[in-house]
Amino acid sequence: MSFSGLVENEILKFAKQRRFRVVVLILVALIGLIVFAQSRGRERFRAGKDWHVETQERMARIQNWLRDGRMPASSQRWARFELDRLRYHLDRNIDPDAVSGPLFARGFANASSYLLLPLLAIVFASDVVSAEFAQGTIKLLLTRPVGRAPVLASKLAALALAITLTVLFGGVVAYVFGGIAYGYGGWGAPVLTGFRVAGERLDPAAVRTIPLWQDTILAYGLAWFATLCVGAIALLTSVLLRSTAAAMGTMLAALIAGTILPRLASTWEAQRFLFVTNLPLPDYYSGSPPPITGLTVGFGAAVLAAWAAAALVAAFAVFVRRDVLA
Amino acid sequence: MSAEFAPAAAAPPDVVLSAEHLTKRFGARVAVSDVSFDVRAGEVFGFLGPNGAGKTTTIRMLVGLARPDAGRVRIRGLDLTHQFRRAMEHVGCIVEAPDLYRYLTGRENLVHFSRMLPAGAIERIEELARLVALTERLDDRVATYSLGMRQRLGIAQALLGNPDILILDEPANGLDPAGIREIRQLVRHLAAERGIAVFVSSHLLSEVEQTCDRVAIIHRGRTLATGPVRDLVDRVASDRVRVTARPARRAAEVLAAFGTAAAPADEEGAADGEGRVDARIARERMPEALRALAAAGVDVYAVERSLATLEEVFLDVTGGETV
Repeated sequence: MSFSGLVENEILKFAKQRRFRVVVLILVALIGLIVFAQSRGRERFRAGKDWHVETQERMARIQNWLRDGRMPASSQRWARFELDRLRYHLDRNIDPDAVSGPLFARGFANASSYLLLPLLAIVFASDVVSAEFAQGTIKLLLTRPVGRAPVLASKLAALALAITLTVLFGGVVAYVFGGIAYGYGGWGAPVLTGFRVAGERLDPAAVRTIPLWQDTILAYGLAWFATLCVGAIALLTSVLLRSTAAAMGTMLAALIAGTILPRLASTWEAQRFLFVTNLPLPDYYSGSPPPITGLTVGFGAAVLAAWAAAALVAAFAVFVRRDVLA
Repeated sequence: MSAEFAPAAAAPPDVVLSAEHLTKRFGARVAVSDVSFDVRAGEVFGFLGPNGAGKTTTIRMLVGLARPDAGRVRIRGLDLTHQFRRAMEHVGCIVEAPDLYRYLTGRENLVHFSRMLPAGAIERIEELARLVALTERLDDRVATYSLGMRQRLGIAQALLGNPDILILDEPANGLDPAGIREIRQLVRHLAAERGIAVFVSSHLLSEVEQTCDRVAIIHRGRTLATGPVRDLVDRVASDRVRVTARPARRAAEVLAAFGTAAAPADEEGAADGEGRVDARIARERMPEALRALAAAGVDVYAVERSLATLEEVFLDVTGGETV
């Protein structure tokens, strides 16, 4: 009757259900598809040109667009950031669009943190509690000589483990597939990091060069943290709604709203307090222009942590107190 | 009405579970109102009532799934709300249906639930599988089990912690007659051989009559009567007599003067020959009635007091409402 026994139970239930295998398959299939499509597109894009020449051409194109003046304001902002970013790379003789297996793996952290990884976390978390209600097993689970709080805590621990493994697995699969297309070497390549957005321009003051492996670990750490927070919020919906479909639907709606909202209403600043707006932590860290002003890694992590903490407090409070009548 | 009408037991009964004035409201609706009873070691206690009478709500309060609005549950003297873990160490239960993890095997289910119990439960798995006759199917997924097998696995699960009280909610539901008999024998065995107190809810009168020692009848959230099954049956049965006489029709006419009597069905000329007459005659008028039969020249072969079914008990205590 130890806590580790309870966690063992929850891991057993995770492992024996089809979900885990489905998630593994989704990751493998999706990453394989991305690598395939990207490597096809690249061959045409570069067309054998030197990257210095190609980058300068791209900067010239962007400057032309800006002079043209017909660009919407939000795109102008993005164009200036991009111009700055390319200039820094050119100045330091780093190819902004270099490819390698490690770089692909690094890029996957950014690409997956705002939709794919949260989605997989939702797939896991949505039925952690609601499935026990649906199967009726909640009645056995909560009539053992074990408090309700340890039962939910064991579920949370198993969920955190599943999410951690998923993020790790995603990174490994991205590296393996990226390596097939672009080669496995290049962990030591220099990466420009520390871009900060200052008003309408990039602030170069803090930009520095770090090796790629270090950058990758940071990016995955941030993606992992953001995904864990989504998992905690999805756990609350699972506790509250007691139906897997309803819990999953609610979280999906939130995620989709989070990707649409900044584009449709970039001027509504209060949205930076929503958890979905802050999911692309690795993006904010790399210095991509945030969808709305005022978003940074630190702020985003704080907002996510606050949401996750509030969700967990609510989930435990409800789970421990509520009558089981289903 | 809910007073115990059983004579007090000579030895102080070993009470394992006691429900004290349990009340549960859902909004304005009172689902369970002031329900009290004791369940003693080694007895099978029936909880009888129609569907929707408040049986499952009461059971949810007994096992801590729902919190009573008033009253309390004590298990081995421990207050369930305040000493939940220690109290639940004595309890094994199946609430509503034997819902186990269908994607796990029987053994995995038992291992899962023994990890939630004090040490030693895991060693009982083999023995319990034998007890409920599931040894051969223990490594198959529960999804492939029949309802009867799931019910037995549920009972094995409930026994993992060596409980003092076993709480079974409608264990006969959905089972075929053979399955019902198996469960009944198992329940009787557990009470008689292991001294476990067994609490069984049911809406089937015959089931409770055959399985239980004592019974509480619940209707619309209130207990209408509590006592030994035999006493309840006797209470209603006391004025029921079955007289075998010849000629049966004449006997019925004579007996009707002392109470009520139904003439036997007129088959194979039974009305004029020997036949059985079911009558309701108060105990104190019986000698007079028998003398009248003799005076009328009726031959009496047998006079039996017939036992009522719980159906009749139920009609009696609910004042005519059917189950």
